[in-house]
Amino acid sequence: MSRWVVLPLLAMLLGGQPAARAAPAEGPGCGAPPEAMDALPLPGTRAAIGRGTLRVMVVGSASAQSGGTSSPAATWPERLSRLITERLPGVSVEVRVFGQRGSTAAEHSRILAEQGPGFRPHLLVWQLGTVEAARGLSADDMAETVQETVARIRAARGERTDVVLMDPQFSRFLRANADVEAYRDKLRLAAMASGAQLFSRWAIMKHWAEQERIDLERAPRGQRTAVADTLHDCLARALVEFIVDGTR
Amino acid sequence: MAPLSPLVRPGRDLRVDFLRGLALWFIFIDHTPGNLLGDFTLRNVAFSDATEAFVLLAGFAAGIAYGRTMEREGWLHAAARVMGRAGTLYVAHIFLFVVFTAQVGYSAAALDQAAYLDELQLDPFTQAPYRALLEALLLRFQPAFLDILPLYIALLALFALCLPAIRHPGWMLAGSAALYGAARAFDLSPTLWTGADWYFNPLAWQLLFAIGVWLGRADPDALRRRFPWNRWLAALALLLLAAGAAALLLGRFGTAQGIELPEWLGAGLAGIDKASLHPARLASVLLLCWLIAQLLPAGAGWLNGRLAGLFILMGQQSLPVFCAGIALSFLGRLALEVSAGPAMQIAVNLLGLAASVGIGALAAWYGNTGRRKPASLPEAAPLANVSA
Repeated sequence: MSRWVVLPLLAMLLGGQPAARAAPAEGPGCGAPPEAMDALPLPGTRAAIGRGTLRVMVVGSASAQSGGTSSPAATWPERLSRLITERLPGVSVEVRVFGQRGSTAAEHSRILAEQGPGFRPHLLVWQLGTVEAARGLSADDMAETVQETVARIRAARGERTDVVLMDPQFSRFLRANADVEAYRDKLRLAAMASGAQLFSRWAIMKHWAEQERIDLERAPRGQRTAVADTLHDCLARALVEFIVDGTR
Repeated sequence: MAPLSPLVRPGRDLRVDFLRGLALWFIFIDHTPGNLLGDFTLRNVAFSDATEAFVLLAGFAAGIAYGRTMEREGWLHAAARVMGRAGTLYVAHIFLFVVFTAQVGYSAAALDQAAYLDELQLDPFTQAPYRALLEALLLRFQPAFLDILPLYIALLALFALCLPAIRHPGWMLAGSAALYGAARAFDLSPTLWTGADWYFNPLAWQLLFAIGVWLGRADPDALRRRFPWNRWLAALALLLLAAGAAALLLGRFGTAQGIELPEWLGAGLAGIDKASLHPARLASVLLLCWLIAQLLPAGAGWLNGRLAGLFILMGQQSLPVFCAGIALSFLGRLALEVSAGPAMQIAVNLLGLAASVGIGALAAWYGNTGRRKPASLPEAAPLANVSA
């Protein structure tokens, strides 16, 4: 019986004191692991940049919409738009965000079918997996949806649209209460199977959390919004590095 | 550890108990995400994982135990005993469900994640508490990491129903394979309250259990004659397993290493579903089983060693150790949520293993003293000699 008492106590002792963590780091992409920002070629994006107009379509669930930031302007898609403009002067960038809190891959797929042909994006950033993992929806179905949807986009747009999948945010809570790894595995394979790429937000945020740089989960309540702003800004910076790497 | 050896039941095929113990340990590790040992369990290098091993060996043990009851006392008695076991598993599952629910609530509070919880709908209790409870009792609400016991319960219920078939092993396997094929071809599966299928489709997984039952019932010598050692076959099996391992590792680390992999490889790997036991997973566990049976002699000396003894003890007391392992993995997850550093990794794994062995020892001791009537004491003496 004592074990049941000792283990949580031990956990508290070994855990140390969580402190405020939001130190925007040095290095490109806020010091995200370099391998997480290595991209394979993004031909559609590269051609669009050459022509001076880049349309980016973001489809995702909650974190693409607000994710606890101070304003919509502070979310990663909005920051992405600003940062690409700064990084690539002379290129006009249009970022459009679709999806909503709690939306699943199947819903994203429908949005893509309805909105994609009108917008004709050069780059699609598809953020998914969190809702599936949290609700225990089928990882196999999710992978199938991704493969079919990306195949559809490629059939219609060929190399003119690049697809980048973005996996869930790193969260100790999610990791402890849902089988996230199974979903991350399937996302990685689905990307590989369909010719899409994976931008691993999980790996990047885990790195920041372990380095005690940006740790939304352990931020004191009063600082949470500020930390979320930093997080989204840094995610956008890391994604810009990824895109630049893929269009070199 | 020496005091533990009298608790190990001799006379059985210790390899089976050892592997079952190992599978239980892997299940504990795989159920604590964030555990660094999770990168070294079977699932990383084989299409099958500890779940397959557990189900196959559960079938093996059930074949031996209930097959004998069936022969001596008939269907009704044997089926009653199987259902009694399923009932115990059911109660254990409901207990673990309550523990899980408490854990989610606790860890949400600890990380101040109430909003997150609500958004993710990880906690159906806030929205429909009575419905959630009812659905859990009906096994139609299975939270993450609580999916193996419902499968095991369903498998035992099916087994109780089909017990007479074990007298005709060929027909049993044929029927089982037909059901597996139908379940996969027509997407037959019991559903959860969300409308999704069970995580482990019992209509498909029953094939692995049935193969275990068949292996458990078969005469070992006859089995050996039927599946003799063949160098070329073994080489082929090893090659297939190695190719599977290479594909899995490439799929996992290839892209990050800058290796561009063919799309067919990704598509192939993505298509291997666990829910309905993809044939690749089935083949993987059966090949492993054959290789181990051939390459690991039943009387291997190290099986009598202390380290092996720990896993054998766990494997022989699989039900309490499994349930304790799941409950312990909840605590492990909470601990790793607080910190995932080296000290905590060591603490979680050592305590987890020690507690599993402890539960196994307790169950063995309790089982021995509880069942052994004074009249049968003399029988116990030779056992003590064997293990001394």
